[in-house]
Amino acid sequence: MFKVIKLLTVLALASVPAYAVDGNAILAQVDKRLAPESYEMYRKLVNVEPDGRKKEFILFTVKKGTDKIAGLFISPASDKGRTTLRLGENMWLYIPNVGKPVRITSLQSVIGGVFNNADILQLDYGAEYDVVKVDDLEKEYLLHLKAKTRAVAYDRLSMWVDKEKTLPTKIECRTEADMLIKTLYFKQIKDFGGGIVRPAVIETDSPLYKGYRSYMIFAGVKARDVPDEAFTPNFMPRIESLR
Amino acid sequence: MRIGIFLLCAVGLLGFFPRGSGAEETPTFNLSEIEKEVQKKPYWFGGFLQVQPTLSGLDSDSPLYRLKYYDNEPGGTLEQSNLGARLEGALEYGDLRAFARLDSFLTHDHDGWHGEMTLMEGYITYKPGPHMAVDAGKRVTKWGKGYAWNPVAFVDRPKDPEDPEEALQGYYLLGGDFIRSFDGPLQTLAFTPVILPVYEDINDEFGQTGYVNVAAKLYALLWDTDLDLLFFSGHSRTTRLGGDFSKNLLTNLEIHGEVAWIQDFQEIDFLENGQVATRESNVWSYLLGLRYLTETDLTAILEYYHNGEGVDPNDLKNMYAYINRAYDTNKQTGNRSLFGPINRLTKEGFSWRNPLRDYLYLRLSQKEPFDILYFTPAFTTIVTMNDWSFNLMPELNYSPITNLDLRLRGIIPVGGDQTEYGEKQSDWRVEFRLRYFF
Repeated sequence: MFKVIKLLTVLALASVPAYAVDGNAILAQVDKRLAPESYEMYRKLVNVEPDGRKKEFILFTVKKGTDKIAGLFISPASDKGRTTLRLGENMWLYIPNVGKPVRITSLQSVIGGVFNNADILQLDYGAEYDVVKVDDLEKEYLLHLKAKTRAVAYDRLSMWVDKEKTLPTKIECRTEADMLIKTLYFKQIKDFGGGIVRPAVIETDSPLYKGYRSYMIFAGVKARDVPDEAFTPNFMPRIESLR
Repeated sequence: MRIGIFLLCAVGLLGFFPRGSGAEETPTFNLSEIEKEVQKKPYWFGGFLQVQPTLSGLDSDSPLYRLKYYDNEPGGTLEQSNLGARLEGALEYGDLRAFARLDSFLTHDHDGWHGEMTLMEGYITYKPGPHMAVDAGKRVTKWGKGYAWNPVAFVDRPKDPEDPEEALQGYYLLGGDFIRSFDGPLQTLAFTPVILPVYEDINDEFGQTGYVNVAAKLYALLWDTDLDLLFFSGHSRTTRLGGDFSKNLLTNLEIHGEVAWIQDFQEIDFLENGQVATRESNVWSYLLGLRYLTETDLTAILEYYHNGEGVDPNDLKNMYAYINRAYDTNKQTGNRSLFGPINRLTKEGFSWRNPLRDYLYLRLSQKEPFDILYFTPAFTTIVTMNDWSFNLMPELNYSPITNLDLRLRGIIPVGGDQTEYGEKQSDWRVEFRLRYFF
């Protein structure tokens, strides 16, 4: 009798995979590897048109916790001084000429081209998405992400994560109806210091902008704790003072 | 010159600007170069150069034409060219920052060249941390949530609803900003007090001189809604109280509103004989608006504005009739004095820009149609609900290369006799604006 129970137990355990992949835990690791929870960074955004023409923007960004992020355009001259702020699902744009923060949506684009506000004011993936399915590929995990709320610009993401580095290599952004909006390719892994080793370039293409490519190049990524008051509409005209 | 500039405009808007040759070239990014690019300097200087030719088809029978040009009539069409620069600069030293914005423009019209240099803003800020800042100098406060109008902008000059995003000139003031953040439904609380002196040589356009006025704004971000309570008190203008709000109902739908209560406002009755009767009464101005973004990137801004400080349509008709009589008298006798009551009203604050009481504003702008990057056509209309006259403003905006902004715009007022837009000085206006930022 004891032998039978032992045999049944062994068979039952054998039918369960050796380990269950926790997609949300992988996503949390990805977020942690991409940037500290509170940080400052610079990003260069480059829109390249099919004929080779380029338009470049440089953006200074500070983020705190899971729901606060603010950005300042420091070039080109026509956009200098514009600031953006996101507090959870609230987003504002401040234009020096207009002189006051105006509410905007995640789908709008303050710079034109492939990048929209959600790309510029992106919070942690884990703050905005749940992993609903994980495909265990040979060298990568394929995480299927679903937005937690409708306030997010892309309802679904497919994220390929390098198993060894726990960093994304590619993300497809899709609508609720599964239409592909854009694809992000993570390139040029760089050591930014302070234990931050992450891709320094994100290349983007979109079937909605055929032939156009956009690049986001990261610089000066470092942990920084900024007071909460810096993430308020009143402070938007003075974000420059954080640099 | 006019033809040349409009040709430049057409060329620019069609996108015949120099293009790169490497269509298939994969850009390479030198990461250490970018680190150098983002280094901050303690000073900054920038601005733009502007060329803005305008061609107007004038209505010589219009009272506003007659009021403006009775002693120097330009004829059926008026060419104006505006050339100049906006210069901006900032200097930082520790917790102090100085900022200045200077407009310097030359305008050429039928009357020759006119130059104007205006300090739009110039102030020093002391900012010991994100929770506090104190400003002293000439600056704009830009209170309110409305796009085209801001009835609660108690210490600002009025916006031009035909160009509401244009920079305004500030007033000399002492202001503060004190911010606190919280966890919970109330996320932010900010208090913004302002002290506004009005004397002979400082802010004298604001109101009665010889007084120091105070105003303040209390801002709260509460349940994901922007809320402001505002007040103005002083002897240069009568007491004003106000409130405003802004909230995203959906990710692509924002609503906003403003309400202002103005104590003892001097309402005017303009009689046919040119006499002006005034009476004090408490009036309300308010605005309700929305901003909607469609899936096709069409942004719609719709606002209703009740202008409690506006005049009755009959008073406007009386003004028009009176101006026509003054014009006829001037032509027959050379006597200008009959224009006096109207000019006095304007000097005392009456504005020909939206002088009536109820308005609708609609702006539709389409981002990058037909896959044309950085191209935004737009259409705007302002409707006077008191006489159902309106203006139509189609426009094309294009930024073909970095730091170059082009705008081609038409303005067509439409309305019957003795209506607000029916009696504008121009039957139509076409303007092109080129701005190169540096």
